[in-house]
Amino acid sequence: MTNIPLWLIPLFPLLGTIILGAIAVTSSGNKKGAPENLVGAIAVILPAFSFACVAALAYTMPVSGLHETICNWIDIPLLKVDIGFQFDALSRIMLLFVTGIGTLITLYSIGYMHGDRGFARFFAYINLFLFSMIVLVLSDNLLLTFLGWEGVGLCSYLLIGFWNKDLANCKAANKAFIVNRVGDIGFLLGMLSLVTLGGAGVLNYDMLNHFINMLLAGGHVELIMPMLFITCMLFFVGCTGKSAQIPLLTWLPDAMAGPTPVSALIHAATMVTSGVYLVARLSNLFVLCPDVLNIILVIGALTAFWAAFAGLYQNDIKKVLAYSTISQLGYMFMAAGASAFDASIFHVFTHAFFKASLFLGAGAVIHALGGEQDMRKMGGLIKKTPVTACVMIFAFLAIVGFPGFAGFWSKDLILERIFTDCTWVITGSWLAPVVPMNKIFYIVGLFTAVVTAVYMGRLIIMTFFGSYRGSKESEAHIHEAPAVMLIPMIVLSFGSIFSGYLWADSIGIHFFADSLAPVLAAAQSVDPARAFNSSILLSEFIPRAVEHVNPVIFAALGTLAALFGMFIAWKGWMHAHIPEAKDSSAPKGYAAGWTFMWDYVHAFFVKGVYVAAWICEKIVDACLQAFQWMLGAIATIVGDGATVFQVRKVRLQLGLSLLGIIALILVVLLTGGLV
Amino acid sequence: MELQPIFIQILSLAIFAVGIVVAISRRNIFFVLMGIELALNAVNLSFVGFAKTLPAELSVAGQIVPLFTIAIAAAEACVGFAMVILIFRNRESVDADTYSNMRG
Repeated sequence: MTNIPLWLIPLFPLLGTIILGAIAVTSSGNKKGAPENLVGAIAVILPAFSFACVAALAYTMPVSGLHETICNWIDIPLLKVDIGFQFDALSRIMLLFVTGIGTLITLYSIGYMHGDRGFARFFAYINLFLFSMIVLVLSDNLLLTFLGWEGVGLCSYLLIGFWNKDLANCKAANKAFIVNRVGDIGFLLGMLSLVTLGGAGVLNYDMLNHFINMLLAGGHVELIMPMLFITCMLFFVGCTGKSAQIPLLTWLPDAMAGPTPVSALIHAATMVTSGVYLVARLSNLFVLCPDVLNIILVIGALTAFWAAFAGLYQNDIKKVLAYSTISQLGYMFMAAGASAFDASIFHVFTHAFFKASLFLGAGAVIHALGGEQDMRKMGGLIKKTPVTACVMIFAFLAIVGFPGFAGFWSKDLILERIFTDCTWVITGSWLAPVVPMNKIFYIVGLFTAVVTAVYMGRLIIMTFFGSYRGSKESEAHIHEAPAVMLIPMIVLSFGSIFSGYLWADSIGIHFFADSLAPVLAAAQSVDPARAFNSSILLSEFIPRAVEHVNPVIFAALGTLAALFGMFIAWKGWMHAHIPEAKDSSAPKGYAAGWTFMWDYVHAFFVKGVYVAAWICEKIVDACLQAFQWMLGAIATIVGDGATVFQVRKVRLQLGLSLLGIIALILVVLLTGGLV
Repeated sequence: MELQPIFIQILSLAIFAVGIVVAISRRNIFFVLMGIELALNAVNLSFVGFAKTLPAELSVAGQIVPLFTIAIAAAEACVGFAMVILIFRNRESVDADTYSNMRG
């Protein structure tokens, strides 16, 4: 048992933010900017310290977790919130990869951002982001988590718009911020309705679990079902905003306007998974509401499917990876919707490694080509940048689920758990008397895995194979990235190969599941059909014998899907002539229609808001102004009338007012007041 | 004959009446101000007179309030005379009846 206090973990990045912020402000005036060595050293060492703290704590943590209350935050009659930290199995996993991958990507950024004017500012933001993310996962109550949630949103905004000379970047930053606000309203209202249900105390996670146990023991779940449904839905809206699920996903592809390390750290590995984290953290609450879990399952499946196809239509290398992130997040939510929360956290964990290496590899490619992001102008880079190519190919094998790589274990686990754990059955529909939804979602997931292999294969082939399609003079400049960028990439690519072996079901390793069990096992053992009848939507629960399917079949099917997808990609792009890029890399035609589908939906709602604003301005405002003018006119008329009484003699008026006072006193004396 | 509280009140009423009559009937603005001051001090006298009817430990309030009133009256007199002087510079007159161009 070590005696490291928990507040040290967020303290280091906060210190980094303050120091680097001071450096950035003081050096903004001089010509050369801050010394890069100093800034880079501070920016890497402080997150590394907090990673060391996390690692030491993770190794010695007791099963029940560590709790620590720092101080009181809000203390008003109806609301008492402490600033408290909680280090349990779930936050341990999250913190390990947030601080670990955060440190690696910060190291990478030193190479990537070399020579940038805002070098110190960039690392101040990165440290602030790590601080917020640590607060998000380490806090022991929802309100402090919300503080971190807003903090990471702010840092995302600042870093997307980091190169703020370009208007498009600023617009992308605004879009990310505003779309996230919509989700945050869901989070806020969710907390509000949770407080309405159980009092302000339930904002604390331990108290919330206690409250839920009381509900289950007393059999009161049905009583508060509608309110519970609304609460869970609102929290899920918050998650869709942060984790880019349908319908609030349009901001993530635009967020690629930021520097590539930012895309790797914030928009792939850590921040976007905080929605999955929240669902897992509130898993005891969500399992009370099977309807919400079903909705999560549907949304996750739709998102995974839609984004996989959207990824197929992109020419910008970062956009492909952005849609792939959305698609993988969809998988995570599918797992959560099938109440396999540990599988979803496992996929968060492995995804953080392979997606971070993919993004860092893409960053190295962009760096090598001097800022070129269009895949149609790449090709044949495996000869010029072999290390980058190897890193990306390993990560590619991980994401498509090639046997033995990280994604193989986590993605197949999710598909398997969807098949075995999902108890949702629709009865009496027009299709068939009984529709087992688990099979449908399994097929959707498997099909998405094929598409994933296709678009990722296309990315790898267009980037690294064939012949170079860019201009001759740019070809001469292609160079491998410096060591400071390659080392994090290599470490992460090892992660994307081996991190899956923490939970390799087929060969009997359950380390990851066992370590998460203290937090998530209770939620996953709740059987909604047995515990209570809680259905308020169309679904109906029928106790169903768990079908025993040999896990090897799942593994074989997953492998087949990956191989089939890779085969299609090889057939489609390996020897095909890729048209020369003359215009921007944005998709066109039907591809644009599919890619920007949700932007059109958003535009529809934005139009609605415009109409509402127009009504407010032209009608409501006009009515109010008419009322205001009427009052003013009445006052003027009455005032004109009252001036008649003015006699313009000071003494006479004094006398009259004295008379008035005497009259008043007489009235009071004679009648005892007019009341 | 001992000093009865009612005598003080009668005196105070008389002084107040004189003050009001002066303020209303005199046209000279200085006399108007003087009348107002007189009325104000009559009220102070009334306060002290009533304080005398109470036992000693309770009469403190009645004795303190006139002190406040005197302080405020001094401030009011300053402002009032400053205004009178400004009006006199404009008007060349101390007749209150000529100050009649304040329109509603």
